[in-house]
Amino acid sequence: MLKRPSSRRKSSQEPLILNLVPMLDALVTLIAFLLFSMSFLAIVSIESPAPVASKAEVQQKLKEKPLQLTLTLTPKGSQIWSPFGRIETTRIANSEFGPDLPQIHQALVKIKAKFPEEKQIVLVPHPGVNYDTLVAVMDAIRSLEKTDTAIFVKSPKTGLPLQAQYLFPSIVFGNLLGDS
Amino acid sequence: MAIRQSIRQRRVRKSLNQMAELPLTSMLDIFVIILVFLLRSYSASTTTFSSPPGIEIPNSASVDIPPDSHHLIITPESVTFEDARVVDFTQTADSVGTDEPKYEFARRDLDEGGLRILPLFDALVKARKQSETLREKSQVRDDTGNPLPFEGVLAIQADKKIDYTILRRVLYTAGAAGYRVFRFLAVRKEV
Repeated sequence: MLKRPSSRRKSSQEPLILNLVPMLDALVTLIAFLLFSMSFLAIVSIESPAPVASKAEVQQKLKEKPLQLTLTLTPKGSQIWSPFGRIETTRIANSEFGPDLPQIHQALVKIKAKFPEEKQIVLVPHPGVNYDTLVAVMDAIRSLEKTDTAIFVKSPKTGLPLQAQYLFPSIVFGNLLGDS
Repeated sequence: MAIRQSIRQRRVRKSLNQMAELPLTSMLDIFVIILVFLLRSYSASTTTFSSPPGIEIPNSASVDIPPDSHHLIITPESVTFEDARVVDFTQTADSVGTDEPKYEFARRDLDEGGLRILPLFDALVKARKQSETLREKSQVRDDTGNPLPFEGVLAIQADKKIDYTILRRVLYTAGAAGYRVFRFLAVRKEV
């Protein structure tokens, strides 16, 4: 008795086609939502505390003679100095485009290596400095580049040495009262 | 002639009857790639700051994302605080008719030796008082049971070309109005 031939060959199996249209709809909706709701400009901030003057603090400072690192920007150049004479004054001539930022940064790195615990700097810009230059100067003051010499500070929690993440993160404007 | 035309028409009709199937797979691939890119660059921060039209913001290497706070915008022509224009600059006499107009504060808007900007001071004090009232009414208290103190943070967004003369007056005014921290906003520099 012969077996009946298999019907597999005869059966017309159509190729399975996935219905991609709903998936495509969902993707288009998602992309539209993301494009509308996202901002392509990442806004960042540089914080600066308002200067506070108190008589008691001034008296204490006169006794202790802190570093009080100051960066003065003039139309001709920049000056890094300490009103209490704790460091030698550094004068840096302006470059073609304004303050010589790499030179300022290098000078500040050297000072940070000497005073690793110091965080504050007083910035005294001249009235002609624009906001763009000011932000660039603040960047040069605050951030430590990967190529800079590693500076170690004491961890306030453990007391162990930690690599400093910032140069002088606390920037105070020194001439808000119009002294210069 | 008529027979040929009829044959052609029949072929066209036949081809139209067959369901046209667009190859969607490659399109889907493209969409998935776009979606992954968008999700990767989507910022999940809660900050509401954006770049307002009419001003060019400088770039900064900072990575600090500013949290919400009172917001001040300085354009070359005006000062806006919390979406309300509070001060309009006047054009300097020597820049009238030139290609690059320069602006300064009107004399009536300044006091305390030209350092304090009156309309801005009023707006800042009003905002501070509102904020303090809200904190007093809020049930959130500090450890001693007092309402949370006013943080006094002011986010400043200024045009690249704004001089320090203008910025100094704004900072002085904000300090006089009880703001203790200034946050200078910039666009993150791509490294």
